[in-house]
Amino acid sequence: MTDKTLARAISRRQWLSASGLGLVGASLSGWLPALAAEGAADPRRRRHCILLWMNGGPSQLDTFDLKPGHAHGGEFKPIATSCPGLQFSEHLPKLAGLAQHVAVIRSLSTKEGDHARATFLMRTGYRPGGPVDYPTLGALVAKELDDPEAELPNYVSISPYQALNPAAFVPGFLGPRYAPATVGANDQPRADVPEAGYPRLGLDNLQLPAGVDPQQSLRRLQLWNSLEQGFLGTRSGASAAAHRLVYDRAVRLMRSEARVAFDLDQEPPAVREAYGRGRFGQGCLLARRLVERGVPFVEVTLGGFEADALGWDTHQKNFPTVKSLSAQLDAGWSTLMSELDSRGLLERTTIIWMGEFGRTPKINAQAGRDHFAAAWSCVLAGGGIRGGQAYGRTTPDGMAVADNPVSPGALLATLCAALGIDPAGQNTNEMGRPIKITDGESIGELLT
Amino acid sequence: MSVLSALSARSGKSYACRFCLAVAAVSIAGALFGEESSRPAEADLDMSRRVDELLAARWAEHEIKPAPPADDAELLRRLYLDLVGVVPTVWEARAYLADQRPEKRGELIDRLLMSPAHVTHLAAVWRDLMLPRKFDPQQIAGVVGLQNWLRRQFIENRRYDRIVADLLVATGGDESGPALFYTSVGLKPQELATTTARIFLGLRLDCAQCHNHPFDRWTQQDFWGYAAFFARLEQRSRNAAAVRLVDTESGEVHLPDSNAVVPARYPGGVVVDPRELGTRRQQLAIWMVSVDNPYLSRATVNLVWSQLFGRGLVEPLDDFGEHNPASHPKLLEELADYFVATGYDLRRLYRTLCNTRAYQLASHAPGAEQPAPDLFAEMAVKMLTPEQLYDSLARVALRAPGAAQNPLADPQRLAFLIKMQTQTHSVTDFELSVPQALTLLNGPELNAVTDAATSGLLTALEAPIFNNESRVEVAFLATLSRPPRDTERSQFVEYVQSRPLDQRKQALSDVVWALINSAEFLLNH
Repeated sequence: MTDKTLARAISRRQWLSASGLGLVGASLSGWLPALAAEGAADPRRRRHCILLWMNGGPSQLDTFDLKPGHAHGGEFKPIATSCPGLQFSEHLPKLAGLAQHVAVIRSLSTKEGDHARATFLMRTGYRPGGPVDYPTLGALVAKELDDPEAELPNYVSISPYQALNPAAFVPGFLGPRYAPATVGANDQPRADVPEAGYPRLGLDNLQLPAGVDPQQSLRRLQLWNSLEQGFLGTRSGASAAAHRLVYDRAVRLMRSEARVAFDLDQEPPAVREAYGRGRFGQGCLLARRLVERGVPFVEVTLGGFEADALGWDTHQKNFPTVKSLSAQLDAGWSTLMSELDSRGLLERTTIIWMGEFGRTPKINAQAGRDHFAAAWSCVLAGGGIRGGQAYGRTTPDGMAVADNPVSPGALLATLCAALGIDPAGQNTNEMGRPIKITDGESIGELLT
Repeated sequence: MSVLSALSARSGKSYACRFCLAVAAVSIAGALFGEESSRPAEADLDMSRRVDELLAARWAEHEIKPAPPADDAELLRRLYLDLVGVVPTVWEARAYLADQRPEKRGELIDRLLMSPAHVTHLAAVWRDLMLPRKFDPQQIAGVVGLQNWLRRQFIENRRYDRIVADLLVATGGDESGPALFYTSVGLKPQELATTTARIFLGLRLDCAQCHNHPFDRWTQQDFWGYAAFFARLEQRSRNAAAVRLVDTESGEVHLPDSNAVVPARYPGGVVVDPRELGTRRQQLAIWMVSVDNPYLSRATVNLVWSQLFGRGLVEPLDDFGEHNPASHPKLLEELADYFVATGYDLRRLYRTLCNTRAYQLASHAPGAEQPAPDLFAEMAVKMLTPEQLYDSLARVALRAPGAAQNPLADPQRLAFLIKMQTQTHSVTDFELSVPQALTLLNGPELNAVTDAATSGLLTALEAPIFNNESRVEVAFLATLSRPPRDTERSQFVEYVQSRPLDQRKQALSDVVWALINSAEFLLNH
């Protein structure tokens, strides 16, 4: 952790004179008076990533790799997109109009067909088991793109469904500094209380507790600050310094203008409607507001909150379920891309759409599709991605990859390359062992 | 122990004879160091002095002046957090601070070590070591089981080597606790080898899992030879309440990408003779408690040292080897020998270390430069674990402990522990995420301590026997275990006085809020 290394590197005397009490003073003067409104994005945070996580495993055959005319094809028809030759499902019409930003990968091939294991694999790039606590994708990116001066968290996770495999949602050996700030998780019952017809998507504990007004909070912070000065003045250790730094960051967030990012009521009703009223659509809107304010990594989950938590796990009634999920996906994703584009942010924001695996080409007796990892699809879009193409190909029956198989490591390496992160870079785990950010080579054809 | 005794009775081989001798030696030692007679206490104090002597020699070499002794309040709070996992109550703090006798430190250490809270705390500490995914709510029943099992071992103050041996042959059934240790890693030989070698032997054998370790002498044969002890294990009952493990007759491990069977082999030692009796795990358990195993005592001494001093004599704790020498090799060796001589007595080990001058140093050295942490010339500043924090907050709020027999079964507490989990493996690294800091600033758990309607402390402070000065003093004692310093006293009393009388409770809640969010409260120093 850089802060600690820094704190260790400086002597106690320097700490007292330069950063220690200086920091206390500076930060107090920073947040005790209400902060002046700041400009939107921090220019140093040039890159952002948005993960659209499809919980349960979406059907590639009914979204981005249709097989019209084949028995495996099912009920949906393909439609043309803004790019000649590239076709999506008929239930993704708005997204089809933005296909120039979108690269479909039709040749993902993995070996995990179990929800929990596959979730870990796709979200970390590594297979589960073994002694290493691998960080989830969001933590990896947050670490690379983090701005220590930022007021907002570096990783926000919207409506995640973590129960499948909690280990796939943690920063692992990177530590809590890169833990997601979770919004509207499905294990927080009160998160589902609708506000004015919309799901509530607030950051927990950002507000003062009931009964404590801002003046009282200010008095508390003043008392607290004098205690801190007394203690930190006599302690040279890194722990005391790190305590100060994280509290500073939390208090800065509480008191900052940037926290209005979480207040979706500030958006015009027409915009909120355009994203879709559901948890996913409003999550995409929140993602846009966070990216505008410089947050490097945001993930939005679709299919993690409905009556059936594994929304995309369509073992039965595949077609009506995928149709309804596609409607949410189409509204949220397309509005997100258009709005990012009109703000000049899409070229700096890479979007990745994926679930833990795909679905069987063969339609089962319950008109459903089962788990399928041998040949399936995901999507990269936006910044750093050469849009308007489909990479890789499956066989006409969809049962196997015909061209250019892509591994999870290669997918994440390509994402990193699009974000300007060296995919071959290394982190060091708590045992002192070097761990590669991704275990794969990036795919040049997908990159600009 | 019963398994081992039965086995040694059946076997005439040399290792078993050695084991018998070890058992005999132990019973003699047990007679010598009878329960809490004055002699072991004296021997422990002699060892404490020896530890200090060896540390002081290094300070002299480096021309370093150690920190002054911690004051009473600081040491009191440190001992409570380290030995029973919670800050002292106001009356405990008052009584201790008022006591003028020099022997009160030693008495406090003994009292805490003999308290039920100590074994509960110790069980939580060892459970935390042993289970890699700490609070998986789906496995909580098993986690509780393991912790309860550990607690029973510590209540009896069983020999630590026997606890480890029993764990290594655990089959579950009535006591599903230790079996969880196996099922939590899916019974995989390589995982079990990795974890047991790290915790019980202080060895990173697993670094040689895929290729020979570049810096250390361990080879792939060593790792897989050790893993072979766990290759014959099956889970018969999947009922979470009664996991049952069975040692089978077959099951081998192979080198990666090879068909060659790797025979079971003791770390740094010989290949197991296939004619030896007992299951693979029994063979390992016998080796574990035998004199052939130099690792267990060193690793355990180092572990307990690091719990108290914030870092090990060997650091990282699980990386013993010539490539990574101890900061104080002689100290480590003598302490490990002493631990063996006392019959692997954890309680006496804690007593020995807590009674050292080094443990009782202040956490701030007088010099401008911080001495290197591996000189132990000042006490390390440690982060409170989520459990220490929750339990201390509950104590500050004067909240009655939950009815649940095992504290992990309290859902509110468990939710807090999950929220506040960290990944750090060093207690001196303060690791907290912004959402976690927000939980402390504004979350329900701390608000319960500072909310006038729910906080037992704030209600108690309303009593007319108090004036504002004594109210502030109680708030400091409840949280920091010390009275306010003069400047703090005048500042905080003045603050309470300055608020309207009908807002006095609110003003006191502000005082308590500032105290429980302070670094001084959130750290063990």
